Amino acid sequence: MLDNSRPSEGIRFEELILDDRVHSTLYTDSEVFEAEMDSIFRNGWVFICHDSEIPKAGDFVRRNVGRDPVFAVRGRDGEISVIVNRCAHRGNIICQEERGNAKAFVCQYHGWAYDTKGGLVDVPYPAGFKGDFSCHGLERLAKVDSYQGFVFASFNPTVPSLGDHLGRATELIDRAVEMSPVGRINLSGGWVRHQLNCNWKMLPENDTDGYHVNFVHPSFAQAIRSNYDEAVLQDEESLKSEAKDWGNGHTELNFSPSYSRPLEWFGCAEDRYPSYSKALREAYGQEKGDKILLDGPPHAVIFPNLFLGEMNIVRFEPVAPGVCLHIHTPMYLEGVDDDVNQRILRQSEGALGPTAFLLADDSVIAERTQLALAGKGGWLDLSRGAEREVTDDNGVVVGHLTDETSNRGFWRHYKQVMQGPDQSSPTAAAAAA
Amino acid sequence: MVTIEERLRVEEFLFKEARLADESRYSEWEALAEDDMHYWVPAEAGQDPDDGRISILNDNRTRLATRIRQLNTGVRHAQVPPSRMCRIISNVEIETIADGEYFVRSNVVLYEYRIQADKEMEVWPARVEHKLRMRDGEMKMFSKHIHLLNSEGPVRGLSFII
Repeated sequence: MLDNSRPSEGIRFEELILDDRVHSTLYTDSEVFEAEMDSIFRNGWVFICHDSEIPKAGDFVRRNVGRDPVFAVRGRDGEISVIVNRCAHRGNIICQEERGNAKAFVCQYHGWAYDTKGGLVDVPYPAGFKGDFSCHGLERLAKVDSYQGFVFASFNPTVPSLGDHLGRATELIDRAVEMSPVGRINLSGGWVRHQLNCNWKMLPENDTDGYHVNFVHPSFAQAIRSNYDEAVLQDEESLKSEAKDWGNGHTELNFSPSYSRPLEWFGCAEDRYPSYSKALREAYGQEKGDKILLDGPPHAVIFPNLFLGEMNIVRFEPVAPGVCLHIHTPMYLEGVDDDVNQRILRQSEGALGPTAFLLADDSVIAERTQLALAGKGGWLDLSRGAEREVTDDNGVVVGHLTDETSNRGFWRHYKQVMQGPDQSSPTAAAAAA
Repeated sequence: MVTIEERLRVEEFLFKEARLADESRYSEWEALAEDDMHYWVPAEAGQDPDDGRISILNDNRTRLATRIRQLNTGVRHAQVPPSRMCRIISNVEIETIADGEYFVRSNVVLYEYRIQADKEMEVWPARVEHKLRMRDGEMKMFSKHIHLLNSEGPVRGLSFII
């Protein structure tokens, strides 16, 4: 950018984010939003896709990183590149299809052609082109790395490693993929793009808020008799589930302590899918297999835009201060019978998206919250349970299901990211470049 | 080719079904659905309901009954109060599938006033396919597929009967 200042320079995050409350302008202010696009979505790691979405050379999917259009493509060498979807010549969209397979990407405006690494390989009427092909490639995101097939990328060449960013939360991703007896998930089910007219931060906040369930979702409990009401719709003392802060903004609702029998989290008895149970025990051993069958999948947010939503994978996408997308796909498992994945698909359609038994209600509450924050706004309280949360042996902060431990964890990290490193550090210099 | 009388009966059904949905008369609307009902909003153009791709909505009769039960609880926040709606149906084409069974295509534009949230007007254009049958002198539906023009999204909350 021409302006050498950080967009967040004038915003006093230390005054807007306190330990026990946050100010509503964080959800409504366009300068805050612009600062987030820079500090979080360009400077940090962002979840892009799962490698099962683009298994073969030339496979690609379109995505947005913050608001920047990109596509992820697998090269002939098997490596995945994340490339800005903008022709290096005059800025047209290069990759027009949402997903597919291509040997090369040819701009439909003037015919410039690029390979699957974004390198310029052909320019029509070359006599008039005096540039150097190697200087006119597509912009690639500086860093691409993956963990258990989850592909993350960053525009920032000096971003700390993905391992540093994920920290202890790799355990959450491990738990997701270990729902498969072969340790592999498959995101081939397509994505539903649900628009909510609220700030994007309400998505990670609400998805790990265990307090709202009785009040936002009573119609679900009344309409469906399932393990759901046993897991969450109880009085305070008997609720065994936990809200957790894993550090670095990664947060979880751990429902596992509320389950008393295998596959309860799947809404069925163990003998409903005997070959699945057997395969898990054979793959991981009796003890760990039993534990996976009892505990179920994680319900956790990986900062800033990935939600491991039990048997769903969700991407959060900011659009504007008051508009965002909640984009979900079923988390299909490799190495299981089709009927297990069929159940995962039907549950995904039931729980998430515009028509869902759960998320349709969350979305209307979020939109009303956004309305309530209009104008000068005010403070939002985050103090619940601060005095009774504990830090476990692994450094994870654990609170009661209904406590705001998870949201405090989100905001603590957010504040640190938004305040940014010292201006003289390499990361700050890269941000201003 | 259907007769004028058959066409009138089919159109009468479409208008009644639309009015009950517009007015959020959930149980009366549900009573129009047969036991083998399939109520479907695909997420992609050209999608096959059995290809393992996710849908925006994909209800068999059991799940549809759950959906109606949830709406009838009175605490389904997304529809408290219910959206105020008005749908215009046009381009009705009717084919006979079997004796007394019809495949019906129509174009629908639904206007929705989102009175329970941001009080905005949302417009939902769709190509709709019904399968209808006469049972005991009454027209019923056993399939309603709603192909939203914007199915690939973004799609806003859609908690009413579409």
